[in-house]
Amino acid sequence: MSAFAHPATVGITIFMAALLAITPMVFEVLQRRGRLTPVLRQELYARYFSWLVLVPIMVVPILLGRLWTISAFGLLSLFAYREFARATGFFRHRLLSAAVVLGLLCLIAAIADHWYGFFSALPSLFVSLLVIVAVVEDQPKGYLQRVALAIFGFALFGVCLGHIAYFANDANYRPMLLLILLCVELNDVFAFCCGKFFGRRKLAPHTSPGKTWGGALGAFVLTTALFAALGHSVFAGTLLAAPIHLVTMGALLSFTGQLGDLVISSMKRDLGIKDMGATIPGHGGLLDRFDSLLFVGPALFHYVNYFVGVGS
Amino acid sequence: MSEWEYKPAGDAGLRPADQWRSLQREGGLPTAIAHGAWCALTGGYLKMFHRFRIEGRERLPPKPPFVVVANHSSHLDALALAVGLPPRFRSHAFPIAAGDTFFETKATAAFAAIFLNALPMWRKKCGSHAMETLRERLIGGDTIYLLFPEGTRSRDGAMADFRAGIGMLVAGTNVPVVPAHLDGCFAAMPPQARLPRPSPISLRFGVPKIFSGASNDRAGWREVAAALEKDVHALGDAA
Repeated sequence: MSAFAHPATVGITIFMAALLAITPMVFEVLQRRGRLTPVLRQELYARYFSWLVLVPIMVVPILLGRLWTISAFGLLSLFAYREFARATGFFRHRLLSAAVVLGLLCLIAAIADHWYGFFSALPSLFVSLLVIVAVVEDQPKGYLQRVALAIFGFALFGVCLGHIAYFANDANYRPMLLLILLCVELNDVFAFCCGKFFGRRKLAPHTSPGKTWGGALGAFVLTTALFAALGHSVFAGTLLAAPIHLVTMGALLSFTGQLGDLVISSMKRDLGIKDMGATIPGHGGLLDRFDSLLFVGPALFHYVNYFVGVGS
Repeated sequence: MSEWEYKPAGDAGLRPADQWRSLQREGGLPTAIAHGAWCALTGGYLKMFHRFRIEGRERLPPKPPFVVVANHSSHLDALALAVGLPPRFRSHAFPIAAGDTFFETKATAAFAAIFLNALPMWRKKCGSHAMETLRERLIGGDTIYLLFPEGTRSRDGAMADFRAGIGMLVAGTNVPVVPAHLDGCFAAMPPQARLPRPSPISLRFGVPKIFSGASNDRAGWREVAAALEKDVHALGDAA
């Protein structure tokens, strides 16, 4: 099947390219109107240049094919876990960390094999395995912390991100994944912009001081509208093309996307670090950029799977 | 309920190129696999082409931290010293390598960090800050340093005087220092050679010493260096 067989794939790809093309012009207009401080301008350009690299890295595997897509999300899952393990210090428990990595690899293999039975069996199997492997060190001190971190890492970066990758087994995966990625990332941009322009009340000042109710609600409305508008073409001919489903999915995406951001912020505050890594200039680590994807995967996957089935 | 304690990786938050050159670098699973594979490869090579023999492994301390110091006359020295340690110590062992040789470019720094597990020592711009970082890491963790206190490879095979740097790391601490003598590396691959010759190499570990009584100043550092130099000489003479 050709990469651009679905008209929505063409439309969303062009939309992404156009967004990247006009963004610097928007910055310059804002600059001329005196709405940007030098620091904000520098920050925005740093993020923009990162997007110039990140967007092709995200989009090209999806256009190339199913296995490319699964491999790309598999790598994201492994690198996200790596950042988590190094930030918490969990990586020093070599055997347990290796068991988590094995769990992530099994999930990737189950997705690549389109074996949903194995994919859904792995969480219970690996939770059991991690609980048992943690005993091998024969160090009761810190046992609960080790096990909790292992299961947390496996669940978030394996199971949750794995649900996004599982979409690749659907015949309609290209437009669906492109739509999800576009909306998740724009959800962040909308929250940032709405927060800058009319955010007053802090959303969670101890967890993420920069986030405001204005930003969150603005992003919620705009992302839901965008998802519903673009989703109409992506889900055309299915039950999910109905406005009620499109609005529900858009709202779910925006809500879970912002929660993912808050969860990683909470983790960073607890650890006392600013960024999860330094992989992406202007964004910090991979987890700082892709945190919003974490819960969008399970939420949308099970919604779509319940009503029309994914890959059936 | 007591609070959980987190200790992020010493090099967390640094970009890869800075991580490779960081004295606080801590390898994860991928580097442990790469380093293990490299040790298996070089171990096989040393056994096959140089009939590599190891003596006195039983004298090594039961667990890190400790320092191994040896004579230096060839690029094969660091390989032999790393392979000479029991496998359980390998991921803890950091050869201290010349920054201007092994860490100058990104490619060599990546190789030295990932495969050799080396830490850089910049010979021309090594400040006391770097030595202090290495000393703190040694005292506070489960680290093993593999060190050549002569500072450079001998050009004629004869051992040069030990520099005081080793003293800066261990004077006044309870960290054991293991003297070791490498024999045959100069004949197999002297500094002037581009490729090694298949001649025998052996490594002998001596009795560990602790310098808790040495003062952490110039006199103490020199005292540590002189004592270890004498021990390494004695191991060489006994071979």
